[in-house]
Amino acid sequence: MGATVFSVFVISAIGAALATVLVIAERYITNYGECAVIINDDKTLQVQGGSSLLETLTQQKIFIPSACGGRGSCGYCKVKVVGGAGPLLPTEEPYLSEEERAAGMRLSCQVKVRNDVRIEIPEELLSIQQYECVCVDIRDLTYDIKRFRFELKEPDRMRFVPGQYVQVFTPAYEGSDEEVYRAYSISSNTTDEGFIELIVRLVPNGICTTYLFEHLKAGDPVKINGPYGHFRLQDTDAPIIFIAGGSGMAPINCMLHQLANSGSERQATYYFGVNTPKDLFFVEEMKAFEARLPHFRFVPVLAMPDEDSGWEGETGLVTEALDRNLDRAESYEAYLCGSPGMINATVAVLQGHGVQVENIFYDKFS
Amino acid sequence: MKRSPEAKRLEEILRCSRIVAGGFMGEDPRPHEEIIEADGAALARLGVTARQLAVRMREMTEYGMAGLGTPVRFEERWEVVVDENRGETVCPWPHEGRYQKTVTTVRRIDTGETARWSALSVHFVEAHGFFQGRGSPFRLEPEDLARFLMAA
Repeated sequence: MGATVFSVFVISAIGAALATVLVIAERYITNYGECAVIINDDKTLQVQGGSSLLETLTQQKIFIPSACGGRGSCGYCKVKVVGGAGPLLPTEEPYLSEEERAAGMRLSCQVKVRNDVRIEIPEELLSIQQYECVCVDIRDLTYDIKRFRFELKEPDRMRFVPGQYVQVFTPAYEGSDEEVYRAYSISSNTTDEGFIELIVRLVPNGICTTYLFEHLKAGDPVKINGPYGHFRLQDTDAPIIFIAGGSGMAPINCMLHQLANSGSERQATYYFGVNTPKDLFFVEEMKAFEARLPHFRFVPVLAMPDEDSGWEGETGLVTEALDRNLDRAESYEAYLCGSPGMINATVAVLQGHGVQVENIFYDKFS
Repeated sequence: MKRSPEAKRLEEILRCSRIVAGGFMGEDPRPHEEIIEADGAALARLGVTARQLAVRMREMTEYGMAGLGTPVRFEERWEVVVDENRGETVCPWPHEGRYQKTVTTVRRIDTGETARWSALSVHFVEAHGFFQGRGSPFRLEPEDLARFLMAA
């Protein structure tokens, strides 16, 4: 019995020692030499092999959206790999559908660059940059929504299209040992050069929002990358309906700045849905837009107005208010920002009033 | 207890903040297998399965979604609010699936009692019988939850 236990112990120890040696060898001894990462059959990067594809691209200043910082737990850093990535890894399987696997999609954080690799990525990702910033102001908008103002330091300017978003880097902090990125729409004016503002709602147990709400202070450094996204105003004269709820205010506010900056005379109505008067914010800012934009109207909608609040505006769900107020709207464009449930319900109402599906644009919170 | 490398890795992910701030285990020192076993035994004593609870939870969440973040009356006895937040989470168990960051809060109108769960919590309960560790913000005490949800 004693001899058997000893034998098992010895074999286990040898196995563990060999595994350790392999890990060390992989990390310090194996040299994959210089490899080529060929992007879109157009651009070739000469890189040192051995790192993940995500890390390699980041070192080359090409930022692939990733929420977990390359730990293989978010599944956002998908890239189409045309060749050179080796077989699909078990760590990737949970994040890739059958269609994605068939199309050659891989998690770039899990693919190691061991030889030449050919990938295809959207052209716009090639212009994404990382920005070192300083948080210069944090303002309470409601009990669970704050506005964060960041001064861009390096680079000190960001060119973005209203409607786009950035990813905010969250360092490890007390209660969270993970570094992650999370996406937030830009709310500020493009003319406010050197600064960007974000509107963020606290998510219970959210890694990034907990950091932003409870740990970040004015004067602290902040790292962001971007801008990302295709949500933007179309260059037409079509009348506009904006619909948002809560922190969905951010990209719509940015778009309103855009209209005001250009002296737009487009007809635009903004339905902003919240639960109670204490959830309402940016009312003064919206009044200012009403003063600057001759055909703009702000319609706050309260789902639960206090009986003694004296509220005389729209009530009910934002979709109900929209349904009540909209007539035939075949010529309209609609811009939506909110939860998937709100977007789905709103799209149905808009289509019921004749808005063409191709003229409905949204930033779904997913 | 002898544990596979996969179980050890899973335990590590459940305890760290990789997916949610603070992880899923709270201050509970028990391994996740032990938590699942103990919670399963508690439900068995009540003659209820985790799957039955999950079906009820999902039913309430799906009904509450129509409120777009406002309270919705459910079967005259409950009031349901579903808050949808930006982004999705994944399950730490190794399988495909993404879960919207929704938080459902249900209040019993007659007693004022409340229960709260995320979309991932429902999946945990249904697929893994996992109600999270004690001290986790989304820990659900199975017996309390069963009594709360199955009230006639």
